[in-house]
Amino acid sequence: MGFWRRWFRMVESLTRGLLFCSLATALCAAQIAAVNLDGKPVDPVLASRGKVVVLIFVRTDCPISNRYAPAIQRLSQQYEGKVTFWLVYPDKSESAAAIRKHLQEYGYEVTALRDPGHVLVKQGQVQVTPEAVVFGRNGQLAYHGRIDDWYQDFGRARAAPTTHELADAIQAVIAGKPIAPSTTTAVGCYISDLE
Amino acid sequence: MMVSFSQFLLSGSAGKILAFALATSAAVALAQSAAPARAEAPVTFNREIAPIIFHNCVACHRPGEAGPFPLRTYEEVHSHARQIAAVTRRRFMPPWLPEPGDLKFADQRGLTDEQITLIERWVDQGAMEGESPLPPLPPFAEGWQLGKPDMIVQAAKPLHVPASGTDIYWNFVLRLPLESPRWVKAVEIHPGDKRLVHHANILVDRTQSARRREEEPGAGFGGMEIRIEAETFEPDSHFLFWKPGTVAAAEPDGMALRFDKGTDLVLNTHLQPSGKPEIIQPSIGLYFTDQPATLHPMLLQMENDARLDIPPGERNFAVTDDFTLPLDVDLLAIYPHAHYLGKDMLALATLPDKSTKTLIHIKRWDLNWQAVYRYAAPVFLPRGTTISMRYSYDNSADNQANPHHPPQRVMGGNRSSDEMAHLWLQVLPRGAEARGDPRMVLQEALARHNVEKNPADFEAHYNLASMLQARNQLDEATAQYEAALRIRPDDAVANNAFGGLLASTGHGDEAAARFAAALKSRPDYFDAHYDLGIVLATQGDYRGAIEHFSAAVRLNPEDAAAEANLGSALALAEQLPEAKLHLEKALQLDPQNTLARENLEQLRERR
Repeated sequence: MGFWRRWFRMVESLTRGLLFCSLATALCAAQIAAVNLDGKPVDPVLASRGKVVVLIFVRTDCPISNRYAPAIQRLSQQYEGKVTFWLVYPDKSESAAAIRKHLQEYGYEVTALRDPGHVLVKQGQVQVTPEAVVFGRNGQLAYHGRIDDWYQDFGRARAAPTTHELADAIQAVIAGKPIAPSTTTAVGCYISDLE
Repeated sequence: MMVSFSQFLLSGSAGKILAFALATSAAVALAQSAAPARAEAPVTFNREIAPIIFHNCVACHRPGEAGPFPLRTYEEVHSHARQIAAVTRRRFMPPWLPEPGDLKFADQRGLTDEQITLIERWVDQGAMEGESPLPPLPPFAEGWQLGKPDMIVQAAKPLHVPASGTDIYWNFVLRLPLESPRWVKAVEIHPGDKRLVHHANILVDRTQSARRREEEPGAGFGGMEIRIEAETFEPDSHFLFWKPGTVAAAEPDGMALRFDKGTDLVLNTHLQPSGKPEIIQPSIGLYFTDQPATLHPMLLQMENDARLDIPPGERNFAVTDDFTLPLDVDLLAIYPHAHYLGKDMLALATLPDKSTKTLIHIKRWDLNWQAVYRYAAPVFLPRGTTISMRYSYDNSADNQANPHHPPQRVMGGNRSSDEMAHLWLQVLPRGAEARGDPRMVLQEALARHNVEKNPADFEAHYNLASMLQARNQLDEATAQYEAALRIRPDDAVANNAFGGLLASTGHGDEAAARFAAALKSRPDYFDAHYDLGIVLATQGDYRGAIEHFSAAVRLNPEDAAAEANLGSALALAEQLPEAKLHLEKALQLDPQNTLARENLEQLRERR
């Protein structure tokens, strides 16, 4: 079954336009897998096989994703046991040491990954930090977008969020219900797609 | 900003970029604007972009400043390139609220449309470094921008800011350790971690009225709007304001501020939790001068909070105020102020010849970036000019800043969830004024305007009364005090001030009754104890005088005049050893105190 799941997810990826990597080995080699803070490659979806997986994309110096830290930490604790949370740092300039310091300062107890090759960025179809991605137990992309509607624009935050899209998506996936909407636009710091 | 069509095909993730482009209408404009440039040389960091970033961004985007990340090198800028293109296109950065107009502000920020397009093209083309020589970073002063201050005063206690929660409005009461009056040519504000502080504003408290709100000395107190009491007319004539990117500057020549022994500065700050626990402990630097003030600007406050009663869902609630200048002034700076529902904020001047000047126009108010705006050159407004405040408010759910969800009825008030409609103008009255101090002429005209506007407003009557008292128009001042006290019969400050007027006109009994009323509503009111002591002593009631001077001394052990009067009253009551003790204490506090010195001499002669 494990193999099948992985294959299923690859098919899903293929439909999203990641064709080059599976066909052209030259390009594939250039794609650097996500790594943990010790530099070991990690596929968070495979690693959490059979569980709902949530990736939260952040960067150490994005004020919006930083302001979300307490909420992200709370959510990860709220769904502990049912959902595996990962923090993903997609900016290649952010070192493992800087990320460790960031985790400590912001009180994160969520496992962090670096994604300098943007494998997870592409897999989750994310554009900004903070942005959330939810994978179902079958490894299928179920939701990507904002955590909630706290921020409406740069510098324009509500006093408190009024909708909670990420929590709703997690609950729907756990309950095996459809997610609506499965995609929302997040407000935050653009993830650089420049080399 | 957006990757152009040909590039995203190459990058191999069409789905992503297309979704991205559709999400933002600006992308379409970009694709069009970028197209004709194809033939030109590619935009590079070193040649085109660094000068824009260095001139407009690095003042804040460097370590220790308000920007969340530095932008000093190609690597630093490249890492945020797409974000920079997005925030400049939306004109979120550099932060600057006023619309461009005929009047220029000092420190005006903002990029031209050409500069914004250039940044987008640079990102589109891959954000290349280029091979031209990199221009040097402009020099930035580290630490105190104006050099080592003559005096540094730090908040006595730090404030712990939690990792999350709503914005915090906190007031730090800074006690100036001055022994004698000093003229100050500059105040530099170091608000603490600049990434947390949205603005900081200093209010001068000459009566130590803010201290009473601290739960323990030095702890400060919460609150977005604070009022500072002043019992005598003394205009707060300077804006002492910090916002991210503020360049500290000395006051113009001749416009020094005077701070005295016992002056407190209240630093009113707006802080935003950052996601991690933080500690804030602001400090200020004072720069002294030997040159007393020769020019006396003043702050005119226009407002119409009484009209603020905004129904839920209302998108365009208008509030206005119009004030006609009784004399010629030069307008130096302007400070529009509303809370979270403010939308469009306009200040207009209609000159006697009916021509108009837009003094400031903010089309999309944002409390987070409120600021004092100083004009690049003084704006002359002749006598008879009408200044109009034209504000509108959005209390609908579409206003993302709306503190209520769902929207609720909102009234004027001091809490951040209340609203305000204020417009402050710093003006310098021109020329000598036959009718007296021109600031008083202006303040009296404004006070009369406010009484007409809000006849039921206690403060309007009180302010007009104290202004008229200062101008020695005592009959009219009496009528205004009486009007104020009809609205708030128990108000301690008004009772005390009216008592002062009555005492000065020989109505001792009525004055004593007013002081007693003030003390009934505020038993720890230093001034009322002191004033009542004087009246009782004048009437020969030395026992009563001693009681109230003793209370005054307990409330403010540093006040030489209270000690001298207590000693004098004790001497008159023949309690000579105690009298000597207090007169000596007064001289310790203030060696120049004439009353204490003369009475001590008399005591020695009687021995």
